[in-house]
Amino acid sequence: MSGALDHRTFVIRRLLPGSPAHAFRFWSDHALKRQWNSCHRDWDVLEDRFDFRDDGIEHLVWRTPEGVVQEMLAHFFEIAERERIVYAYTMRKDGRSFSSSLVTVEFEGKPSGTQMTFTEQAMFLDPRDGDIREKGTGLGFDCLAEVIQAALAN
Amino acid sequence: MPQTNFDRIFHALSDPYRRAFIERLTKGPATVKELAAPAHVQLPAVLKHLRVLEEGGMVVSEKVGRVRTFRMRPDAFRNLASWIDQREREMEAAFDRLESLMAATPEQKDH
Repeated sequence: MSGALDHRTFVIRRLLPGSPAHAFRFWSDHALKRQWNSCHRDWDVLEDRFDFRDDGIEHLVWRTPEGVVQEMLAHFFEIAERERIVYAYTMRKDGRSFSSSLVTVEFEGKPSGTQMTFTEQAMFLDPRDGDIREKGTGLGFDCLAEVIQAALAN
Repeated sequence: MPQTNFDRIFHALSDPYRRAFIERLTKGPATVKELAAPAHVQLPAVLKHLRVLEEGGMVVSEKVGRVRTFRMRPDAFRNLASWIDQREREMEAAFDRLESLMAATPEQKDH
């Protein structure tokens, strides 16, 4: 594998309905977070750990219908209730990391709700490297299928 | 993502022969003859499909002597295949769900 890496920072801002305390619940409560956070309904959950505290770990392991083991491992660095969550996480496919990120989520009370600012600073391995290339179309068509499904759902 | 990129990719992929050629070319360069062999279509039709793919920016070709070889453009699927864009889209979709859930769930009194 070559050393091709891609760095990207993206920021998503959302005005959420309710107070910062309300918004924070959906990030700090295990069951509530799973209701919105996981989107792959057809993936088997092999492990689901959520230890929401400073230095706590969130660990999710899935098996996809194709038999691929996907993994998300996060480490919470700083939790300021109703204000801010700082964590790092890595995504793995069959045991190999393909991205690692630092994330900051900020909550700010507004008259009309809560302004949430999600900032992810990510490092991605080039998907054209390694096993993706050997498997041929894998990623491109997976993503395409998702794009099409998303478009049809709208 | 620019609409034009979507358009050309979807157009290129709207035909089963073209999808098969792309599938083949993602595994490595191939000559027109190699591409035509499993396609069960006449050479002119194969060339027509390849031209659509080339004009759409999905593949490039090079002629050496009498042999034309096609290969994928490295950026052919750039926007669609990028994990980065996928991650961002997934987060946007997750936050849509978060927004609906928050609206549907009463606030707790103790906060």
